[in-house]
Amino acid sequence: MFKILASLPPLIFSYPKRSEKNMVKYIVKKLLMMIPMLLVISFIVYMGLRATGVDPINFLVSPEVLSANAENVEALRESLGLNDPLVVQYVRWLGDILHGDLGYSLDGTSISATIATRLPYTLELAGYSLLFSTIIGIGIGIISAIRQNGIVDYIGRVLAVIGQAVPQFLVGILLIEIFAIKLGWFPTANRVDPNATNAFVDAFRHLFLPVVTLTIGMVAVLMRYARNTMLDVLNSDYIKTARSKGIPEWKVYMKHGFRNAMKPVLVILLFRIPGLIGGSVVIETVFSYPGIGITMTNAITSGDYPVVLVTTLIIAATMLICSFLVDVFNALLDPRVRLGE
Amino acid sequence: MNEATVSIKDQNKAASSSRLKKNIRKFANNKLAVLGLVIVAVMTIACVVAFIAGVDYRTPDLTATRTAPDSSHLFGTDTIGRDLLARVLVGGCYSIFIGLFSAVVSNGLGAILGAVAGYFGGWVDSVLVRISEIFQAFPQLVLVMMLIAIFNTRGLGNLLFIFVITGWMTTFRMVRNEYMTLKNETYVKVCEAFGMKSSNIMFKQILPNVMTPIIVSVTTNVAYFILQEASLSFIGLGVADSTPTWGNILNAAKSLTVVQNQWWIWVFPGAAISLFVLAINFLGDGLRDVLDAKQQ
Amino acid sequence: MDNREIILDVKNLNTSFVSEKKKTRIVKNVSFQVKRGTTLAVVGESGCGKSVTMNSIMRFLGRNAIVEADSIQYNSLHDDQVKEYHLEKYEKPNCAEMRALRGPEMSMVFQDPMSSLNPVYKVGDQVAEGLLEHNKGMSKKEAREKVLEMFRKLGIPDPEERIDSYPHQFSGGMKQRVVIAIAMICNPELIICDEPTTALDVTIQAQIMELLKAMQVNEGKSIVLITHNMGLVAEMADEVCVMYMGRVVEFGSLEQIFDHTSHPYTQALLRSVPVLGLADGQKLETIPGSTPNPADLKGGCEFADRCPFCTDACREKDIPMFEITPGHRVRCLKFQDSPEVM
Repeated sequence: MFKILASLPPLIFSYPKRSEKNMVKYIVKKLLMMIPMLLVISFIVYMGLRATGVDPINFLVSPEVLSANAENVEALRESLGLNDPLVVQYVRWLGDILHGDLGYSLDGTSISATIATRLPYTLELAGYSLLFSTIIGIGIGIISAIRQNGIVDYIGRVLAVIGQAVPQFLVGILLIEIFAIKLGWFPTANRVDPNATNAFVDAFRHLFLPVVTLTIGMVAVLMRYARNTMLDVLNSDYIKTARSKGIPEWKVYMKHGFRNAMKPVLVILLFRIPGLIGGSVVIETVFSYPGIGITMTNAITSGDYPVVLVTTLIIAATMLICSFLVDVFNALLDPRVRLGE
Repeated sequence: MNEATVSIKDQNKAASSSRLKKNIRKFANNKLAVLGLVIVAVMTIACVVAFIAGVDYRTPDLTATRTAPDSSHLFGTDTIGRDLLARVLVGGCYSIFIGLFSAVVSNGLGAILGAVAGYFGGWVDSVLVRISEIFQAFPQLVLVMMLIAIFNTRGLGNLLFIFVITGWMTTFRMVRNEYMTLKNETYVKVCEAFGMKSSNIMFKQILPNVMTPIIVSVTTNVAYFILQEASLSFIGLGVADSTPTWGNILNAAKSLTVVQNQWWIWVFPGAAISLFVLAINFLGDGLRDVLDAKQQ
Repeated sequence: MDNREIILDVKNLNTSFVSEKKKTRIVKNVSFQVKRGTTLAVVGESGCGKSVTMNSIMRFLGRNAIVEADSIQYNSLHDDQVKEYHLEKYEKPNCAEMRALRGPEMSMVFQDPMSSLNPVYKVGDQVAEGLLEHNKGMSKKEAREKVLEMFRKLGIPDPEERIDSYPHQFSGGMKQRVVIAIAMICNPELIICDEPTTALDVTIQAQIMELLKAMQVNEGKSIVLITHNMGLVAEMADEVCVMYMGRVVEFGSLEQIFDHTSHPYTQALLRSVPVLGLADGQKLETIPGSTPNPADLKGGCEFADRCPFCTDACREKDIPMFEITPGHRVRCLKFQDSPEVM
């Protein structure tokens, strides 16, 4: 994840115009602001979980080493610095994390290994849901605004109301009942079928229902918001100015309407990302989907604090990155932000 | 002079009562909102009555597990033979209580903190804003899960506490922004010039102007927390299993055999949540339309 | 008068708005002509339907508006060739025929420059957009040159620098010049200005009006100026159209309206204009009563309730137009001896 971030600035540095310089400054500023946030969050989470009184030697040392040195655990404790003040230990733990060493879960598996297989699955799930819900939600919202009180608008409104009232996991259960159990089109659980021949078909079959479930929830909110924003924009004076130039209607809607409606819609998208991540935590349980969310849920149920610590941090970091990306898009879309005025 | 002040007071009273009447009429014209209110009221009363009457939601009837709805069990029975109708009613009581309590207290907390931050500004404001930002760096559900991990027990009190301390940020931001604008209004300056106490200005003079969005936010938050509780209970991190809530009842639907063979176990509580949340949302939208000053 | 002289001929225009299944007539039986190369001022209180009339002609109204007219005829004159366009026949407000007219033939300057420009595009691109739309094959560079030329003509300082600025970097007066540039860039014959200076400072108002007047005089443009400022009317207009509650109540040349004011409403309107050097103790007159709600109007003269000359006959039926001298028309029963016209 940090690699992606590191590759961002050069991408933007390649346009060294006057206004773009401000843009770079803005992005760097936003990037730098993420660091203290992450530090504070990790500190609070670390201290909070340490306060529960679990012996951290279990997640610093692999169980094999631990059982081999059973007689001199106290010496090991001293040598690992577990008798140092908590703050010192926190700094050391942070250093390990930055070096890519995430420690061990209570059942002895390396957390780095677990995360390495499971994080991509969750990113897949959340990423596709975000992609589709953005396209569908904004698409339906815009059509509803352009054809106000039309059929799309009407159906959209009914769907939005229902989508916001039915709990997401219930939608998931309904989909499983209909499409997985009754019709047998999709598997009811897991991400990978060991007997699958085609990796792409396998991925599609396992991702389809959970992605649809998450997408329905997001679309309900997004389309309603996109519709109202687009309606506001279409009522503004500059839309009339655009029409007075004699340009075709699709240009009025897309170039002048959509572009201005995008900004508030992006902001709401940012506000919905926590919901999406929270939703995927629940949805992973519904579909027994082996991602970060189910890892975290199981870790909390079984009191596996090292895993809780790492998964929480990953989710917080994802959130910060998302909000950073929205800031960047925001700046790209709005000259007032971009030029720092 | 004295007469004049009295008459002005009376006029104000008359004006506000006529505005109330106008608002009630406006609300009554909004059919969806009235429908929402009726559903919310009927469901709440039914749940509370069942709770007070002490319907038996606990005793398992091992001879009649997983029975489909019939005349003795209108909603059927669950996996260990408890009457589902009773469980949905009592569970509704808990769910509605959780939603209402968390919404009211978290919005109250948010409003007070927002008022303090917005009115005083300065370092108080920056500290509170930072704290709210840290809270908002997590998806609320994940924050709740983390706190559950820290508390390490699953009780109703814990859950309520966690909902309150994770639910105040939106209201906080809204109230803070309102206060930042309103504190520069002339009437506030006049109050300050008269030497009125800060607490008096904050809560007696400014607060009434912000009540509308707070009321709407409380309404929609009730629905939000009910859904949140259901999700948590579904993944097994809600209140303890001994306390029935709509979410806890739905927890049974984690088993695919239940989903496949005993539809009543998840359809009835699921329908109850959905209907209640739908009704609350209608009610909230209706309240927003009625109370929104911009539309008057 | 033939099509060469008349650029816009509107006959019996009616516009209604539908809301909550109720239809409210906002513009009623409006007829007027704009002579080529002159300025027509449309005056009246706010809410009298002057803006709606012009937006009906340009077809800028929303879906809930119903526009009906016997005729909205626009006559273009290029290379001594007159071409007639019948706007009332276009069913869709934003059809290709209508769009082809907007920009190269008729254009509009809007009231509030603050909100008339799209905040996310450079002003130069916004001006060039219409140009590129109507001149297929024009390069961006050529368009940019044209825009620069227009900016210079409109007195925007540093055009080379400012062309790449965003609207939020402009003052109100400069923004309105950009809006005028958008309206003028395709060299239209008819420019409709909807209260172009209401949102601006008084000093800027004068500059903008002078600019428009210069355009009209030097390039022979026709202007429709919507305003409620009688001072502007006196300065700018060749002909005046007075509207009240959706109807034209008086129409005539500037002299006819100002020196032979005939309709009681116009008289009241002119008396209520503040003038410098008002004598001591002389009070500015106001028009008694307030404008009625268009939804609860009954038949008869709309001004009857506020009119000092009102008789019972005024309330009986709609009042026709009477032509009291050639070109001077008044909708008032005081003049019922004169011939009735449209």
